[in-house]
Amino acid sequence: MASSDVRDVLNLPEGAAGGPRPSKKQKVSAPRPNLKGLAREVHNLGGDNPIAIVPEVTQFKKRRFISRKPAARWELRPFRNSGRTDASLTLRHWRRVEEGKQPSATVRGEGQAGEDDVSGSKGEEEIEDTLYAKYNVQVSVPQYSDDQYHQVLENPDWSKEETDYLMELVRDFDIRWPLIWDRYEWSPPATNGEADADGDESKAIVPATRSRSMEDLKARYYEVASRMMAVQKPVQYMTQPEFALHELMAHFNPQQEKLRKDFALNSFGRSREEAREEESLLLEIKRILARSDRFNEERRELYNRLDYPHAEQDINTFKSSTGLQTLLQNLMTADKSKKRKSIMGGEAPTPSGQPTPQQAAPDSARRDSAAASTGPRDSAPAAAPTTGNKKAQQQQQQQQQQQQQAQQASQQPSQPQERKKLTEQEEMIYGVTHHERLGSGPTFRTEKINKLFSHKSNQQQLRITNTLNELDVPAKLAMPTAATTHAFEQLLASVNSLLDARKVTDKIDAEIKLELAKKAEREKAAGLQEAEKSEDADDGDAKDDAAAADEPPKEEDNQGENDQLESAGPKRSASVLSDKSDKTAKRQKK
Amino acid sequence: MAQQPLPTSAQPTDIYGGDEVSALVLDPGYCNTRAGFAGEDVPKSILPSFYGHVTSDPPRDLFGDECIIPRSDFEVRNYMNKDSVVEDWDVAAKMWEFMLVKRLQPERQTPPSKNKLNDDVKEQDGEGDVAMEEVEAMEKALEEYPLLMTEAPWNSPKAREKAIELSMESWGTPAFWLSRTPVLSSFAAGKATALVIDVGGANTSVTAIHDGMVLKRSIQRSPAGGLWLSSQIRNMWETSEPKVDLIPTFMVENKTPVDALAPAQARLREFPYKIHDSYRAFEEERLLTEFKESVVEVWRGPGRYGAAGNEEYIKSQPGRVFEMPDGYNQMWREQRFKVAEGMWDENAGYPVPESERLTKAQTIPELIRSALNAIDVDLRGNLLANVVVTGSTSLINGFNDRLNNELTAMYPGLKIKIHAAGLSSERRFGAWIGGSILASLGTFHQMWISKKEYEENGVGIVEKRCK
Repeated sequence: MASSDVRDVLNLPEGAAGGPRPSKKQKVSAPRPNLKGLAREVHNLGGDNPIAIVPEVTQFKKRRFISRKPAARWELRPFRNSGRTDASLTLRHWRRVEEGKQPSATVRGEGQAGEDDVSGSKGEEEIEDTLYAKYNVQVSVPQYSDDQYHQVLENPDWSKEETDYLMELVRDFDIRWPLIWDRYEWSPPATNGEADADGDESKAIVPATRSRSMEDLKARYYEVASRMMAVQKPVQYMTQPEFALHELMAHFNPQQEKLRKDFALNSFGRSREEAREEESLLLEIKRILARSDRFNEERRELYNRLDYPHAEQDINTFKSSTGLQTLLQNLMTADKSKKRKSIMGGEAPTPSGQPTPQQAAPDSARRDSAAASTGPRDSAPAAAPTTGNKKAQQQQQQQQQQQQQAQQASQQPSQPQERKKLTEQEEMIYGVTHHERLGSGPTFRTEKINKLFSHKSNQQQLRITNTLNELDVPAKLAMPTAATTHAFEQLLASVNSLLDARKVTDKIDAEIKLELAKKAEREKAAGLQEAEKSEDADDGDAKDDAAAADEPPKEEDNQGENDQLESAGPKRSASVLSDKSDKTAKRQKK
Repeated sequence: MAQQPLPTSAQPTDIYGGDEVSALVLDPGYCNTRAGFAGEDVPKSILPSFYGHVTSDPPRDLFGDECIIPRSDFEVRNYMNKDSVVEDWDVAAKMWEFMLVKRLQPERQTPPSKNKLNDDVKEQDGEGDVAMEEVEAMEKALEEYPLLMTEAPWNSPKAREKAIELSMESWGTPAFWLSRTPVLSSFAAGKATALVIDVGGANTSVTAIHDGMVLKRSIQRSPAGGLWLSSQIRNMWETSEPKVDLIPTFMVENKTPVDALAPAQARLREFPYKIHDSYRAFEEERLLTEFKESVVEVWRGPGRYGAAGNEEYIKSQPGRVFEMPDGYNQMWREQRFKVAEGMWDENAGYPVPESERLTKAQTIPELIRSALNAIDVDLRGNLLANVVVTGSTSLINGFNDRLNNELTAMYPGLKIKIHAAGLSSERRFGAWIGGSILASLGTFHQMWISKKEYEENGVGIVEKRCK
C-alpha cells in the first residue's frame, strides 16, 4: 500500500514490482474461509496466512457400530498335557465355544472347582490335549547294561557309579555341557572296609572328591556313546551320517580341546592394543603370502623359459657340420610337434563356436612371438593391426586372450592339470554351475521365470496361474534360489504340457460330440427310412435287429473315416475355433 | 500375485507360545514383595516386605503400606532377612496369603451351609455329607491357580521345600514352580543366555545364565545394594559440615522455609507414646530412597571418581539441591557421586564401620570378574554381549554408563552389550515380569510340579525338578 501511495505522489508509473501486489492480495483474501465465532480483527491478525483454527463441530462422535450377533461365548476349558510325566494334571484356559456346542458341564458353574478331579477321571478322552505337548522332547543318552559296561566300557579312571551319574546328568541337562560341568558334584560313596581285602578294621573312607574338567566329562561321555554305538551296530553296517558321528565321537581329543581353551583364555585377556596389533599382523601375513605366490609364479615362468632339451645321447655325432645340420632339423621337428601339442592343449578351453579364420591370426602371432622370444604383450599389437571397428577390437581382444592362453599353455604345459577338479558335491557347495551360453550382464532368476510367462498369450497365462493357484503354488517365488527356480521351471513346463493335453482333449471331446450328434441325425434319418420300410413291409424283424446290431460298428468305422477323410466339417470348425481364439488372444495382446 | 499374509484365523497359535492358565506369580524380596497374575506386565499387588507388628495383647500382624503408621505398641519387622531368604515362615505364609488371596481374589461367597439361609433342620440332615465336602473344598484358597514363586539363587534346599509345602498343603495349588530370580530377569529381557547383574535393595548379585539355567559356580553376591548405599548416605550426612539431621517426614508437624545451610526451623510432632526404633528406621529409609532417587549419581567416567582431576571437574559442575522434611536444604555437588563410588571402588566412598565395609571382591567389577572366571571360557564372550541389568538400585543415574566403562576397561578386546530396560517398572520388577512371561507360556505347562507329583514324591521333588 505504502509504496503505491509513494509512487502516486511522485507521479511514477506503476512499476513492475508494484503491479502484482494488489492483485495478489485480492487473490489471497478471496478464498479465505469465513470462520464463524472469530472476530474479524482477530482473523486479520494472521495476515496472508489465515489462522489455522479448526471450527468446532457440534456433532457427537459417531456411534460405534454394534453387530447384532450375540457376543461370542468363551469358556474356561480344561486341558491336559500328554508331554508331561504326570499327564493327569488338568489346567484350564479360556477358549471360544464352538458354534452349536454347549459349554462343557465341568465349567458351567463357577464354584465347581472341586469337582474337576471327578470329571477328569470320568471322561479322560474328552479333555483335549494341548498343542504344546510336542515340544517336550528328550535327548537320547546311551544305555548300557552291567554286562555291556564290563565288556566295553571299563575305564581305570571312572567307576561305574560315576559313569552312571554322568549319564544321568547328561540326560537331565540335555547334553548342555556348561551346565553339566557346572552341576557336576560327584562324591564317591564311602567305600566300606568290608569290600576291601584289608578286612573289617578300616572304617568308611571318603575319598577326596576331585574336580573333573569339562573335557574329561566330554571325553568319557563320547567314549561311552561311541562304544555303545558300535556295540549296537557294528561299524561296517553304519550309514554314512552314523559313521561320521561315530568317528567324531571316537576321536574326541580332550588335550587339543584343552589347548584350544587355553588359547581362548589368552586371547580373552589381551588388551585392545594387542588385539589391534594381532589384526594388523594377520593382514600383513596375508599380503606377504599373496606376494610370494606371485613371485613363485614368475619364477616358474622364468624356469620354463630357460628349459632346454636335455641331451641323453652322446653329442659327439653332432660335432661335425653335417651333424649340426641334423641336430637342427631334429630340434625343429621336436619343436614343431611340441608346438602343435601345445596349440591343441591351449585351444581346448576356448569356446568352440569360434570361426576358424580368426585362429590363423593368433597362430601366426604366436609363432612370431615365439621366434622373437618376446613377451606376449609385445607381440599382440604387431599381430593384429588396429582398426576403428569396434567388432574388430573385440576380435582383437579375443585374439589376445587366446594368444595368452596358448602361450601360457605352451610355456607351462603342466598348469592346466594343476587346477583342482571339483567334485560334484564341491560344485554344489560352492554353487558352481556350467552354462552353454551366458548373456551379458547380471540377470535375476525371477526374470527367467517371468520370461516363461511373458512368452505366453494372456489367456494361457491366466490358465497357468489358475493351475498354480489350484496347486497352492505362488506365481512369484518368495525365495528364487537356483534349485527352486529349476523346480519351478519344470513345474511350469509340466503345467504347460498339461494344459496342452487338456486343449487337445477338449478338441477331441468336441469332435466326438459333433460326430455323435451327426450319428444321431443319421440314425434318425435311417429310423425314418426304416419306419417307412416297415410301413411298406412289416415282416423281417430279425433282419432289422441284425441290421441294428451291425450298424453301430459301421458307424464307428465311419467315424474313424470321418476323422481321417471327410473331416471337413468338424475339423474346419475346430480350426476355425482355434483361429478365433488365436485372434482374440492376439487382440488382447494388442 | 504376491503372497498374502495369513488371516488371523489361520495363523498358527502355538508358535508364539502364549497359553494362559490363570497362574499367579509371587516374587518376594527384602524390600518389596510382588504378586500378580501371569501374563500381565506389572504385578497387581506390591507391598513392602516390612510389616507392622502390634505388641500389645493380643499381638497382631498388619500388612500393607497403609498400616505402617505411627501408633502405640507398634514395631516394624521384616519376614525376609538381608540375604533375601525367608526368615519367618509363619509371617511369610500370612503375608503371601494376604497378597495372593485378599488382594488378588474376588471376595468369596460364604458357602450356603454357613450363610444361615439354609438352616432348615431337615435339609441339613439329608445332605450333611455334601455340605462337609463343600467346606473342605472352600478351605483351600488357591485351588484353581498354579503358582510360580521366585527365590534367590542361593536359597537353601530347606527353604525351597518349605515353599512348596506351603503352597501345596495350605493353599492347595494344583501346580507349583520355583524359579531363580536371575533366570527370570533374563527372560524378562528376552534372553535365555545372559549375565544378570541384579542390584537390589539388600543385595547385589551377578549370575551367569546359560540356556535358562543358573550356572551355580558363577553366582556372586555382595551387600552393595540399596541398604548399603543408605548407610553411605547416612554417613555422609553425619560427617558433612554442618551435620545434617535425619528427621523423617512423619515427625515434622510444620516447617518454615530457610536458606541453604541454615539450621532448620520446624516444629516436631509430639507423640503420647513411644515410637519404636524399627518404625523410625523404616521411615528414614523412605527419606533415603527419595534422596537416592533425586540426588545420588554414579560417576560415569572416564576413569574412576578418584582419578586425578575428576573431583575438581565435578566441583565446577552444578549440583543438586535437596530439602529435608524439616526444611533444611543444601546443594550437593561432589558428595552425591562419592556415596555411590564405593560400589565400584573399595577405597572410595565414605568410611563406615568395619563390618559394613565392602572388600575389593565385593565391588561390582570384581563380582563380574569372578563370576566370569568361574565358568567355561567358551561362554564368556557370549555372556558379555548379553549383560542384563536389573534391580531398582541400578536406576541410579549413570549406573549403566559406568558399568559399560568398567567392563570395556576390564575386557578391552570383546564386544560388550548391556541390556537395561528403559522403563523403571521393568527394572524394579524384572524378576516378576520374567515369571509372568514364563508362567503364561504354553510350553511351560510341561514343567509345573503337579499336586499329584508332590503327593507321590513329597517335598523333595522341588530339588529334583526346579534345578
